Amino acid sequence: MVRDITLGQYFPGKSFIHRLDPRVKIIITFVYIVFIFVASNFEALLTMSALILGILLLSGVPLKQYFKSLKAILFVVIFTSILNLFYGGGRVLWSLGFVQITTGGVSNAVFITIRIVSLILFSSVLTFTTSPTELTDALERIMKPLKVFHVKVHEIAMMMTIALRFVPTLLEETDKIMSAQKARGADMESGGLMQRIRALIPVLIPLFVSSFRRAYDLAMAMECRCYHGGEGRTKMKVLHVTGLDAVAAVLTLVVCAAVIFCSVYFPAALR
Amino acid sequence: MNDKQVGTKMDYIKADNISFSYDEPETEEQREVLKGVSLGIRKGEFVALLGHNGSGKSTIAKTFNAMLLPSGGKVYVDNMDTMDESVLYEIRRRVGLVLQNPDNQLVASIVEEDVAFGPENLGVPPDEIRKRVDDALKAVEMYDYRLNAPYKLSGGQKQRIAIAGIIAMQPDCIVLDEPTAMLDPRGRTEVLNTIHKLNQEKGITIVLITHYMDEAVQADRVIVMDSGNVLTEGTPQQVFSQVELLKKHQLDVPQATELIYRLKASGFDLPDCALTIEECVAALEPLLNKASLGETYADH
Repeated sequence: MVRDITLGQYFPGKSFIHRLDPRVKIIITFVYIVFIFVASNFEALLTMSALILGILLLSGVPLKQYFKSLKAILFVVIFTSILNLFYGGGRVLWSLGFVQITTGGVSNAVFITIRIVSLILFSSVLTFTTSPTELTDALERIMKPLKVFHVKVHEIAMMMTIALRFVPTLLEETDKIMSAQKARGADMESGGLMQRIRALIPVLIPLFVSSFRRAYDLAMAMECRCYHGGEGRTKMKVLHVTGLDAVAAVLTLVVCAAVIFCSVYFPAALR
Repeated sequence: MNDKQVGTKMDYIKADNISFSYDEPETEEQREVLKGVSLGIRKGEFVALLGHNGSGKSTIAKTFNAMLLPSGGKVYVDNMDTMDESVLYEIRRRVGLVLQNPDNQLVASIVEEDVAFGPENLGVPPDEIRKRVDDALKAVEMYDYRLNAPYKLSGGQKQRIAIAGIIAMQPDCIVLDEPTAMLDPRGRTEVLNTIHKLNQEKGITIVLITHYMDEAVQADRVIVMDSGNVLTEGTPQQVFSQVELLKKHQLDVPQATELIYRLKASGFDLPDCALTIEECVAALEPLLNKASLGETYADH
């Protein structure tokens, strides 16, 4: 179960997407996500989807991995699209009592599905092609102006780095503890919701205890390596904007212009 | 700047009559872990620090890089007092500490970024960090894994990454607190080979805390600790020939030493001490040759 979680997993590579400045990547991803919601009809949305398809192929990350990250939200996608199926006007295709499916409903369902899938794919591209350290590093720099308001930018970024680093470690440990408790006869798979939640307590307590021990060890290891906050700290990888980033930025502007154009000149899809 | 001291007899790390107590949380009593320990580590030396649980060996290691400050006495590193806060990072750069659990020491999600953590904290310029990281990874033979995620590596590999993270700070001394305790035999060999190589090729002083006797045998000098004091110290030969003393304090000796000791005790004519299997074989060979001629059977 643990192995299936791909969220926040980095795939090293040397593709065009990998080589972009992470700050630029974060901002572009953010812009694209906003524009996914700006796109109000199929023409605009399909422009975005075509772009994503291009980006996926460019990223050099096996497409299988993207499917995996979609699988994680399959339920959400199906749920919302079914819900949307029953709303909207247009020609009635099928009805049962007061429930009816219309052409508008079908088109809405398809539209929402493409929207959610695009959303997930965009954020997956970001996390697949950017190492967590690059990501937090970039966020630290983007958030730097917030220091004026006494926001502890470096500390937040460091916490994110450590959290990301320990996600796989703690998942592995959870698996181990679950197996250990099952070996002692713990039953985690049967019973109602409350019973199952209660069955998790013998997993969570050892996990908590060991997390504190890990935290203590890690703090010690960090101090041993002269960690003393963000002051006077340098970085191995200095971020700098290159021609590639300019190309990506121009591409983004073109796509955004196309989306706005489509949204204005074609009728809205959601009814 | 301190390279001039190489070869002098001065101690690089000097513990002068140090004591240390923990507050026992339940009984509110103080538990004395170190009771006036004095010892010195010379530059370039490979020292093994032995002792069973609670002997104070881990505590003393943490005083070597000012992670813990002694409650009495002083610790000097390269003539700097560990009590002096203004040289705290100077000391920690010179004396790196590697802990037992390799999983809990790695900070970043990518091997090379983790190795860069130390020099980044020291404010080393980016190009220099890159160079140091590459050198450190090559020194522990993990360069090919520089872009991997640490959690996908084996225990021995992770521990070598932790060592690389220390080497990137260009330390004079590495203190390793039971670095092989959580590793499988293969990982143990990997880590031990690495630290021996660092000691021989780069001249880095090594303090290896361990309870594996076969690891201690390979050191230049062995210090045995027992309940907060130094029990005995010397070359592995000198230390392990005191089999009775070690046994009295519930410490093991290497298996080869044990065998020779027992044979000697039952009256066989053997050399005083054997540390390795090779030495043991060499010692037993003449005896076995004699036995095959039927001579010794007559005596016993």
